[in-house]
Amino acid sequence: MQAPTPTPDKRTAVGMFFESVYRSIFRYGRLPRDGEGASYAVFNSLFLHIHPVKVAKHSLRFTYTFGLGVIATCLFVFLTFTGVWLMFYYFPSATEAYGRMLDLRSAVDFGFVLRNVHKWAAEAMVFFVVLHMARVFFTGAYKPPREFNWIIGIILLLLTLGLSFTGYLLPWDQLAFWAITVGTSIAGYAPVVGEPLRRFLLGSDSVGQEALIRFYVLHVVILPGLLSIFLAVHFWRIRKDGGLSHPADNDTPAIKE
Amino acid sequence: MKDVDTTQVYPRDPRKTYGLMELVKGTRPTVGLDEDTVYAWPHLLVRELVIFLVVAACLLGAAFLIDAPLEEIANPNSPPNPAKAPWYFLGLQELVSYSAFVGGVLVPTVIVLGLMLVPYIDRKRVGIGVWFARERWLANGLFLTFLVVMVILIIIGMYFRGPNWGFVLPWEATTGH
Repeated sequence: MQAPTPTPDKRTAVGMFFESVYRSIFRYGRLPRDGEGASYAVFNSLFLHIHPVKVAKHSLRFTYTFGLGVIATCLFVFLTFTGVWLMFYYFPSATEAYGRMLDLRSAVDFGFVLRNVHKWAAEAMVFFVVLHMARVFFTGAYKPPREFNWIIGIILLLLTLGLSFTGYLLPWDQLAFWAITVGTSIAGYAPVVGEPLRRFLLGSDSVGQEALIRFYVLHVVILPGLLSIFLAVHFWRIRKDGGLSHPADNDTPAIKE
Repeated sequence: MKDVDTTQVYPRDPRKTYGLMELVKGTRPTVGLDEDTVYAWPHLLVRELVIFLVVAACLLGAAFLIDAPLEEIANPNSPPNPAKAPWYFLGLQELVSYSAFVGGVLVPTVIVLGLMLVPYIDRKRVGIGVWFARERWLANGLFLTFLVVMVILIIIGMYFRGPNWGFVLPWEATTGH
């Protein structure tokens, strides 16, 4: 099969040039109108790596997934954008950080919107990742062959919590300081490894400048990087495991719906 | 499919485990045509775009209506009483108030390992693809109980804990410093 090539006509040289540039980007021309076009649209695009050409109607039913995984992914995208944007204004220093928060409220254009979107998206992401996990559990979607993707999902949940927790310290207000003091002391209760782990996270005996720079680097580079990698594997496994879970995956004849 | 050309256009290569089976006339892929499937474009991608836009609108709405909290600058010499962890760790903090080992070590370890082992323990392929399938009442019941207990612990930690982690009613709560 071959994508239909445009029939030569009386277009100008400039028009032909733009046509060829357009074709180099979107190999299959315009918005698809038929089945063949719809196939090419997915087949020749980045989305092939995420989506198959055809998907089961069952997995599109809103009341099956409630879009929870997509919502969590969207929140991560918004968090990445607002997070990078915030990095232009933030300074990971115990003496500077809090002042930057005040600046976001008053001096930066729409700085309060930026910070608020980041904050609420972060809270929502923890919430929706947990809801997504509950959906997967209650629909039995972790069963073979999707066992390993469930484990990737647990790792993504832990990374989400880690991102939220490390971000919590960065405003350097009383709420941040004491929440992290309490949170890291919980980690310190583990026998043998607990105290070294707490010191490793904080870089010191208590929350201070060392903890701030460690949490900052974890929050803006290491954890988002790890989460992106595991997210890619998570999506890839959905396709490799035959799309979303479906009654046809049962050994017994599909349950009446 | 009477006009299918069944002559072998490409003879099978014995070194390969796959081969071209036949040539079929048609204008679109015919794999799984009679399955209950639709094209990802537009059916799936448009739905995803709609969710993306709705999430964006909700975030912007929330951002304009509710400000993210910001207290006074951090002061290591002035601990609030009680000092609370982020809300999603309040269940653990509540358990820590009874036993540091249980809340700080035992329960988190059991939760993470337990969740990871779930698909290797519960392997029977029944009830997949259906909400709350009757055959899965035990697994679903256990998981629902786990979620409800965690939510209750978090709510207690959020609203019913005052100075020195003592029990308070939310409408009587005062945060001391």
